Amino acid sequence: MSIAGVWHLRMKTPIGTIDAEYRFTESDAGLTGTASGAGEDVVLENVVADGDRVTWTQRITKPLRLNLAYDVTVTGDRLTGHSRAGRLPRSQVTGRFLKHGIGSGDELTR
Amino acid sequence: MRAQFVLFDGFDPLDVVAPFEVLTAGAAFLGGGLDVELVSAEGPRTVVSGTPGISLTATAALDPGAPGYVVVPGATGPTEGDPDEGAETIPVLLARFAGSAAAPLLRRALADPAVTVATVCGGSLALAMAGLIEGRHANTHVLGFDMLEATGVHAVRARVVDDGDLISAGGVTSGLDLALHLLERDFGPQIAHAVEQLFEYERRGTVWTRAGRTPVLV
Repeated sequence: MSIAGVWHLRMKTPIGTIDAEYRFTESDAGLTGTASGAGEDVVLENVVADGDRVTWTQRITKPLRLNLAYDVTVTGDRLTGHSRAGRLPRSQVTGRFLKHGIGSGDELTR
Repeated sequence: MRAQFVLFDGFDPLDVVAPFEVLTAGAAFLGGGLDVELVSAEGPRTVVSGTPGISLTATAALDPGAPGYVVVPGATGPTEGDPDEGAETIPVLLARFAGSAAAPLLRRALADPAVTVATVCGGSLALAMAGLIEGRHANTHVLGFDMLEATGVHAVRARVVDDGDLISAGGVTSGLDLALHLLERDFGPQIAHAVEQLFEYERRGTVWTRAGRTPVLV
């Protein structure tokens, strides 16, 4: 199942849970994504989909500077997995599908 | 020149007091010329440490343009607990400091060639959380080492890491070694040695600097 669309993700960090909105887009150039949260927009790097599993890396500066690596699996309108900051222990990530991306009618369910 | 120790809520007292006393003794052996003081980003105030029963008084506001040292301590508090349930863990205290009015001041201090920023324990992690030392070489307390690395800092396990105008030490007691290194580097080994004799303390380990050959993988 494709991750394309807009998602709400929650993830634990060493300073508490943070929320962010993710937008994944599928095009001829492949899968790309952005994340918006804590007052900044970040372009996702190394976005790779393998079946229902999607991995990417992300460089955040707010609420604190961290390099994060994500590994999630999409199941219907939910996703679960983990993020990892460097060698720190994995932390759980959960996500909820919000809507399809621009060009798909912005439907509220899939 | 001035040595400004930056206090913030939840700071670790030993991170401050150990190097403060070393530099104060060094100033005495120098016969003056080094003013050692406690400051805060917010100006003069009583600052509550993370150790119950200990508060220190900042007598001035941090001046990021004053030639000399700006010393940033770490925090002390619980290492376990869920921040979502209100636990004020060490990372939470450091992140709060990193997001405070201190961050832009410390950014200016780091950009000023007349200022050396020195950190003890989690102090470097606070700078790293604020994104101020990305790509620099630094150390922190062993418990924060992996997190320091995850912020994009080149983390080095050495008791004192000298990266030019950023000098960082490992956990708590390494603040003694940090301050003795500052004295030796900037005023000579005789001043550092005199303080070591007075304190009945000898440093250990090699100060890591960006000099000489780099080891190959073996």
